[in-house]
Amino acid sequence: MSTFRIPFGPQHPALKEPINFTFKVDGERVVSVKLRLGYVHRGIEKLAEDRTYTQNIHLVERVCGLCSQAHVICFSQAVEEILGVEIPARARYLRTIIAEMERIQNHYMWLGFTAHEMGFETLFMYTWRDREIALNMVETITGKRVNYGINTIGGLRRDLTAIAVNPVKRGLDQLEDRMKYYKKLCMTEPTILKRTVGVGILRPKDALRFGAVGPTLRASGIKRDIRFDDPYAAYEEASFNIITYDGCDVASRLLARCEEVFESIEIIRQMLDNLPKGKVRVRVPSQVPQGEAVSRVEAPRGENLHYLRADGTDKLARLKMRAPTLANLLPLCKMFENMNIADIPMIIAGIDPCIACAERMTFIDTENRSTNSWTGDELRKYSIGWYEER
Amino acid sequence: MPFLDIIVFPGLLFLLFLAFFCEWLDRKAVAKLQNRVGPKHTGPEGILQPFADFIKLLSNEDIIPAAVDRIMFSLGPILILTLSLMPLFLIPIAGSSALVWFEGDLIFIMFVMTLRIIITFLSAWSSTNRFSMIGGMRVILQMLAFEIPLTIAMTGPAISARSLSLSKIVQFQASEHLLLLAQPLGFVIVTICLLAELRMVPFDIPKAKTEIVKGWFVEFSGKKLALLRLTEDFELVLAASLMVSLYLGGPIGPWQTQSVLYFFTKLVICILILSNLRALFARFRIDQALKGAWKYLTPLALIQVILVELMPMVIP
Repeated sequence: MSTFRIPFGPQHPALKEPINFTFKVDGERVVSVKLRLGYVHRGIEKLAEDRTYTQNIHLVERVCGLCSQAHVICFSQAVEEILGVEIPARARYLRTIIAEMERIQNHYMWLGFTAHEMGFETLFMYTWRDREIALNMVETITGKRVNYGINTIGGLRRDLTAIAVNPVKRGLDQLEDRMKYYKKLCMTEPTILKRTVGVGILRPKDALRFGAVGPTLRASGIKRDIRFDDPYAAYEEASFNIITYDGCDVASRLLARCEEVFESIEIIRQMLDNLPKGKVRVRVPSQVPQGEAVSRVEAPRGENLHYLRADGTDKLARLKMRAPTLANLLPLCKMFENMNIADIPMIIAGIDPCIACAERMTFIDTENRSTNSWTGDELRKYSIGWYEER
Repeated sequence: MPFLDIIVFPGLLFLLFLAFFCEWLDRKAVAKLQNRVGPKHTGPEGILQPFADFIKLLSNEDIIPAAVDRIMFSLGPILILTLSLMPLFLIPIAGSSALVWFEGDLIFIMFVMTLRIIITFLSAWSSTNRFSMIGGMRVILQMLAFEIPLTIAMTGPAISARSLSLSKIVQFQASEHLLLLAQPLGFVIVTICLLAELRMVPFDIPKAKTEIVKGWFVEFSGKKLALLRLTEDFELVLAASLMVSLYLGGPIGPWQTQSVLYFFTKLVICILILSNLRALFARFRIDQALKGAWKYLTPLALIQVILVELMPMVIP
């Protein structure tokens, strides 16, 4: 049989978000893949330029539903750096706690999502049931399940009450127990092993060359974690391990994420035990002086990067966000080499994609029904022109 | 009256209700295993939900894509439904002999099941969708791998009963002993193969939702989809009742009694076994499933048949 192309997305049951892969397949084997982004471009970076810093906190929080805390921390850190503000120790600790809880609920969700991709509906249902514990914990502290709305520039908006500590600790114990069970399951259940071992290989050399980040990179055996390499919030005071696996396949990514949950639980326990007393917020001026800042945060999916330029008013001049999924898309294309059609959903799930965070611009000519994207140079030329006019 | 038998009991109407009941049972059992609620609102404990789904699908718009082969595409679902309903008349449900039976009806059931899969492939191919084609190809590959151990394992009971008729096999079990006790290995092989025939997890490869968007189902909508869904229910009944008739003695109860209730209880047990297996695993890849079938199931089925032949010599 000759090769033919099968489209994967933008609408496909395996993908919860719109992205298009065109696979050239020979029978059941993938020959090549073409990737197309641009279905959910939301213009958040542009939108941010028309809002005040406080309003932007809430906008940035909505870049991603699952890594909202990571984006907010990243943005606030950039603003605080330009302002030259040191936030109170208690605020740093609480930010860390919420960020780690976010990691736990994200990894639980991811485990279920991956189980669903391999047709293991029972594991999917179980993990999502247990994820509720994590969500309830976050709700106890912040009042919301997602998009917590607790951060602000200069600290937090609300303090952690003493009543909330015990339920959170109980929740952590439950989550640890459950994750131990799931990790055992992922290591022993033959059908899971059959679907994950040796699937979606990303060699360490390629991982570095294509710039993979987060658990995807760490599952290729490379020890790189922003929490450790460039500590922010209260990570310097926490002791934890960076989980690496050298299998370079989906099974390694599965186990790496399971173990990261244990580390996160450990970090939260340390933070809760050593929580400093004091204020959680310093007042900051609404106008930010001229300056530039780059801030990095380890989101559940990998390195999250914000670049901010302030021009002395109460609105920012430029905000650039690089979500982890965008960095993982190129390595993803490498992983498809010589894989089966049946492996495609597993490999895509393996990087924990969050497409809406990674969107870039596409032009669609509705009359000729053609699309074209700008290259980096064109985009640069346009942006220089736009700022000169302004 | 034979006419009433065919239309009402144990014929068409009874089988229709049985099919809907089995779907409900399967859904409810899997939901319980997966910590969900399952169907709940239509009728007591949602027992009418499969029926409601069927009626709702019948009323949906029936879209025939421009590129399809119209004749095969329209005929496919009807043929598949007929072919999955037909073997059910050969199953002894109410008494020790079926509605229709003749020497060699076991071979006939196997033949019809194979024919059904070929029709499935043709209708997948005629819908000219890329996902359907991959699904159709997977259907054929899976059939080639699992029909053979299934057929070999099914000859085990036939050899013991010295008859190729399902009704005779049930009668043999009534007079002698349940074949499950003599051939447990054969029962396991048949269960696994039937799981593959039913295209249930871990063998739902031809219609893997997250890989190829329901595979060969993808272009069917409205009435055709309703018929195909009903077919799946009939297949579930057929698979479970084959297990019941071949190894568990069909409607035979203790002390030589015969009742449809015994058949029904055994059917429920078999469906619960299938549902339980369905909830336990992740989906195999097609190459892994085929490798498993050829490497393990076929030799094991052969060993079972050899054992059946040798057993009477060892234990007279």
